[in-house]
Amino acid sequence: MTAVQTAPPRKRKSSLKMGLVPYLFLLPNMAIFGLFTIWPAINGFNISMYSSSNGRTFRWEGAGNYQSILTDADFWGIVRNTVIYAFAFVLLSVVIGVVLAVLVDQQRRGRTFFRSVFFIPVLISPVVVGLVWNWMLERQGGLVNTFLGWFGIPEIPWLVDNNLATIVVIAVGVWMQVGFYMLILLAGLQSIDPSVYEAARVDGANRWRQFISLTFPLLQPSILVVVVLATIHGFQAFDYIYTLTGGGPVGATTLIVQYIYENGFVSPIRYGMASAGSVLLFCAIFALTIINWMVGRKREAA
Amino acid sequence: MSSTTTEAAPETLPGKTWTSTGKNNITATDALRVVILVTAALVALVPIVWLVLGSFKTPTELSARPPLLLPESWGLSNYTDALTRFDFTTYLFNSTVVTIAATALTLAINSMAAYALAKYNFRGKNGLFLLTLATIMIPLQVILIPVYQVVASLGMVNTLWGLIIPAAATPTGVFILRQYMLSIPDELIEAARVDGSGEFRTFIQIVLPMCRPALAVVAILSIMWRWNDFLWPLVVAQSETVYTLPVALARFTAEETVPFNLIIAMSVVSILPVIILFLFFQRQIVTGIANTGIK
Repeated sequence: MTAVQTAPPRKRKSSLKMGLVPYLFLLPNMAIFGLFTIWPAINGFNISMYSSSNGRTFRWEGAGNYQSILTDADFWGIVRNTVIYAFAFVLLSVVIGVVLAVLVDQQRRGRTFFRSVFFIPVLISPVVVGLVWNWMLERQGGLVNTFLGWFGIPEIPWLVDNNLATIVVIAVGVWMQVGFYMLILLAGLQSIDPSVYEAARVDGANRWRQFISLTFPLLQPSILVVVVLATIHGFQAFDYIYTLTGGGPVGATTLIVQYIYENGFVSPIRYGMASAGSVLLFCAIFALTIINWMVGRKREAA
Repeated sequence: MSSTTTEAAPETLPGKTWTSTGKNNITATDALRVVILVTAALVALVPIVWLVLGSFKTPTELSARPPLLLPESWGLSNYTDALTRFDFTTYLFNSTVVTIAATALTLAINSMAAYALAKYNFRGKNGLFLLTLATIMIPLQVILIPVYQVVASLGMVNTLWGLIIPAAATPTGVFILRQYMLSIPDELIEAARVDGSGEFRTFIQIVLPMCRPALAVVAILSIMWRWNDFLWPLVVAQSETVYTLPVALARFTAEETVPFNLIIAMSVVSILPVIILFLFFQRQIVTGIANTGIK
């Protein structure tokens, strides 16, 4: 675009070739995209309109699957679990993420060390995360209960009690992901011009005052990114729960993705129901992302 | 978002060491901060250290109550047993092949698409770019069943291809590479054209070498995702010969037929490569994630 003066005639000569070239460059990526993302996304709506048994015989149902899914008490239990999980996950991720990012940012000596250490759980296979925590939270003789025992705290049935298991699943999810959010927030903090702090210091603002009136507002864009990502991640949680609680006890930690997986791939297979669940999940993620952006925009404008 | 090389704040301020003069008193806030950071670091690390220690313990030591902190001897028998007792090498091989092949494919097709979106003007460009970005909102979890049906109809269930191809076109990769390529001057590409270089040759010999930092970020992210991926391999790899490490681990844990000491050893093997990669490429990973904010 900028180099218009250089040899215009040659450009005209190759215009036909130029016309196809970008499409050829795009072709492999778009082919895979189209086949494995865009077409399935469209087809998903289609599948959700058909009844199915064991993944085979299809009959047009219209909104029938949605009707049966929405009148299913078990499904509402799963929705409830998912909403509680996602809400707590986002809230804790943002709060702990901001605290860690600010502390790491202020820490001159060993900043890189702490940043790396908090990021390491992000790198670990979620399957292994679930496995390790399941092992450490064993009721009798697990590492956590043994540790608490030193302080005279009696055995806690972490993975047996419904409410405790919910808390554990949320806490482990935050443990695994918060380093990732911290990194985004840390980048946000480091892009703040240090001279604004100097000005504030000259005006006699203490650290807390500086955080409330400067850091927090200037960090809003990064916080918004974290809220959006954490919302999406929160609604997608599955892999580590699979090895941590398996969705138990008695379904207390079964979330929507596990519901989709089990209806789609564990006998009795019910593609229609699973797809209806998927469509509802997509609508939830889509709506919340839009709301997050709108709230964030308004905040930024204000 | 647009700049690709930040890491703005200096890691260590040269003038601020223990011996330097100036305001250097350790205040209560400083002490509190260090205490909180160290505690949080312990919380982050203890499970991993516990896992690694556990991988050296014998079954008897593992079932000791209260648990033993350290193994009595640092034998490697869990690792060697895991290697011989079942097809551990197959799972390791599958994970490695899938990760490397998928990453290579991702790099190839993402960089080509990014080049078209960054450096050419053509009809539908903005639409295709928006479509690419919008698919970040469509996670695999949401389209699991229809994708599975496509893969099944292509006969790719229970093949490594089924694990490699479907997720290769990542919107994140296209986005990172496109942003980077925008910073390459058009004059350079024009000059190559004047010299008679074909479009594809210009891309391979001039554009790609200049994108090395961005390609490294995409490669590292792709390796991390693919190595730890679980839900998709769980769905596609139904027979044991195509299990990846995470799938094998999850299946064995659920079935309770495999001794726990071997599962721990396998877990350690499955987390090591990514941690080593991270320690080597820390800077690229950190800036890559911080700048794109996408996982």
